[in-house]
Formats: sequence, C-alpha cells, structure tokens
Amino acid sequence: MTEEQGARLRDWLAAATGDPGLRIAGMEKLSGGAIQQNWALDVESGGATQRWVLRTDSAAVLAVSLPRTAEYSLLCAAWAAGVTVPEPLFLCEDASVIGAPFFVMRRVAGTAQGHRVVKDATLGGGREKLAQTLGRELGKIHRIRPPRDDLGFLGDPPADAARAMIAAMRARLDAAGTPRPVLEWGLRAAERKAPPPVPPVLTHNDFRAGNLMLDASGITAVLDWEFAAWGDPAADLGWLCAKCWRFGNVAQEAGGLGPRAALYAGYAAESGVHVEDARVRWWELLAHIRWAVIAADQAQRHISGEERSLELALTGHIVPELEWDILAMSEAA
Amino acid sequence: MLEKPGSADLLATAREVVLNELLPALPPEKAFQARMVAAAIALALREAKADASVLPAIDLAVLAREIRAGAHDPGTPRHDEVLAFLRAYARLRASVSAPKALG
Repeated sequence: MTEEQGARLRDWLAAATGDPGLRIAGMEKLSGGAIQQNWALDVESGGATQRWVLRTDSAAVLAVSLPRTAEYSLLCAAWAAGVTVPEPLFLCEDASVIGAPFFVMRRVAGTAQGHRVVKDATLGGGREKLAQTLGRELGKIHRIRPPRDDLGFLGDPPADAARAMIAAMRARLDAAGTPRPVLEWGLRAAERKAPPPVPPVLTHNDFRAGNLMLDASGITAVLDWEFAAWGDPAADLGWLCAKCWRFGNVAQEAGGLGPRAALYAGYAAESGVHVEDARVRWWELLAHIRWAVIAADQAQRHISGEERSLELALTGHIVPELEWDILAMSEAA
Repeated sequence: MLEKPGSADLLATAREVVLNELLPALPPEKAFQARMVAAAIALALREAKADASVLPAIDLAVLAREIRAGAHDPGTPRHDEVLAFLRAYARLRASVSAPKALG
C-alpha cells in the first residue's frame, strides 16, 4: 500500500467511524496471495486501540476473483445468524481509495494452521467439546436459507445439490482435458447412489482445519467464505469428516479435531435435525473427488507456466493418494 | 558407459544434504521449502524406479468415457477386469506419489 493510499484509507475510516481524529497506528501485511491480501490494522480511535483486519483483492485479478463485497455480505449474514466469525465492520466498494474494494473486520486471536491444530488436543476445549462446537457452528450456518436478497450473488439454489456437484466435477475434468478414470469411477459410483435432494441451505464449502481459528477454549473464527453456496447441509459435514481433511490425524473422524459422534450430536442439538450418516459418507466420497480435481487444477497452473511453484507442483501429487481412497470408498458406497 | 555415481545416488545424496545439513541451518520460515525440495527429490527417485510396463496398454480417455457412460457398472461383463486395472493403475501411481497411502 502506498503512502497516499494509506492516507486515503485513514480518511475513509475516519468518515466511516465518524471519528475525524482516527489514526492508523500500525499496518502490516498478514498474508498475500495472487488473489487476496490481508492487512492487520491497529487503529486509534476515541482513546482506544482497535485491532482490525483489512481484506482486499490483489488488483491484478479482480476480474476472476469472488468480489470482496460478496464475502462481506456472507460474513454479515453469518454474524447475524450467530456463527463465530470476525465481526464485519465496514465495506468500501470504492476502488479509488486503496486500488480495490475492501472490507474491515475485527481481528480475532487464535491458531488456524491445519497441521498444528490437529496435533494439539488442548485446543478448542478438548476433542469432544471441539467436535460438538464444530457441529453447532455448522448448524448455525445451515439456518441461513434461500431466498435472501442480500445473498443474491449466490444465484438460484440447485434443484439437486448432489447431482449438480457430480455435473460440476465432470465439467472441470473435461475442461482440464487429462483423462482420470479413477475419478470417473468414483463419480459414476456416486451417481448410482446419489441421495435424494433436501431443502437447500447455505453451505460454507471449505469448513475444515486450516480455515477454523481456535484457541484453548473453543472456536474463535470460521474463516474463508469464498466457496460458500446454496447446497446440501451434509456436504459441509462430509467435507469436514473426509479422511483427506484430517491432516493425518485419521482416528479423529471430525476433521482430525474430534470424534464424529460428538460432531453429529452438536449439529443435532443446534439444528434440531438428525444427521443422516449415509448422506454424510456420500459427501465424503465427493469431498475426495472435489479435492482431487482442485489439486490437479493447481498443479496445472505450474505445468502451464501460469505460476511456476514447487508447492503447486507437489500438490498435484496428492491426486494418486486420493484416487487410492476413492477406489476403496466407491466399493463401499 | 556413463560415469558413476549415477542419478539415483546423486539425488539420494543431495536429499541427505538438504535434510541433514541445510534444514537445521535455515531460518524456521524456510523449513517448509527445504522439506518440499527433499520431498520432490524422493518423488523423482521413486518415479525412476516405477515400471509402467506392468500395466496393460489401455486408452485412458476411452476408458474414462466408458466408465462415465456406465459401461463398466457392477453387473456388466468387464466390470471386474476394469476394477482390477484401476486398482493396479492407482497402486502404481500412489507408489510414486504417496507410497505411505498404500500402507
């Protein structure tokens, strides 16, 4: 961020908060990829220091990324539904302030790194309690239902989320152009056993270790809403329980973080809806297929030269392990 | 004909240098990159040993289309044969990319 952008940001925040004396005491880039940037902001306003995060797009890819405005609306909807998310504070749609639209949310403490949180059994208040809390959070998210004018950018809900997911995966495989017979085998098995549709709800679609901020007492934030869509609530439970998202801690079936039964119990307590285990397991198969498709696409960015990266290159080599599990799951399905 | 040591020995030795000598001396924020380099070398060594000739020559694009169309569903004549091929194919691929997954 340039000095002029920083000055314009201060002026904008002063107007948004109604505090002309607002001062930006600290600003540090937390993370920045090709698509998004996060900045830690320490702001002095009204005699107190506010700890905020500013989230914005990297200017180069505005056209293809999910707009921050949409993510802000999702955050507001989740906050209003009682989901543990960072409190959304301000949205600026004017790209002339810092070069791209941005929003500001309250900064939350905790640890999110997947490999770390599955290893530390003291996080989240212990395994049993954490899994129950995860279920409760999902139950709250799934209370957000269409139609919602504020979430109009999500489009119409699919008539059948399970079959829509199969079609979407086949379309991505066709677009990528590499024949993947094991993924086709898994998709065909899933198609034969697809569960009947249920009324659509808001699904987070990346609810797993790595996107959950935890501290010793519980969840401090559900992060990364960029894949949210209308869908089958069991898709979120299946994504979380999928073996490929347990970060090696496979015995804890709720995302490597706790027992599956506690997750289901927390979900049922919050939502009043009994969890259909078979439906969740169907979505676990789809979770493996979806992750394989994403991993193959990421490797393709390296192979094509679009973004040469050892990390992307190695991500492609996750696909065969997923295929091995997909074959076994297809037979069990 | 070519001078020894060959590529397998060189790569294995290079990997040991990365893990045993470079990694401990690196700042913590660079450890992930060093581990990725070691993983890439290990993968390349396994790939050099993998023998794809154990698999029958099959047109994967045709097979993928047939599977999608349901031509090899349970109860069809070639179901067992196709499943056996997919198992061998997936095993070979995992033996290079993720041998631990095979148990």
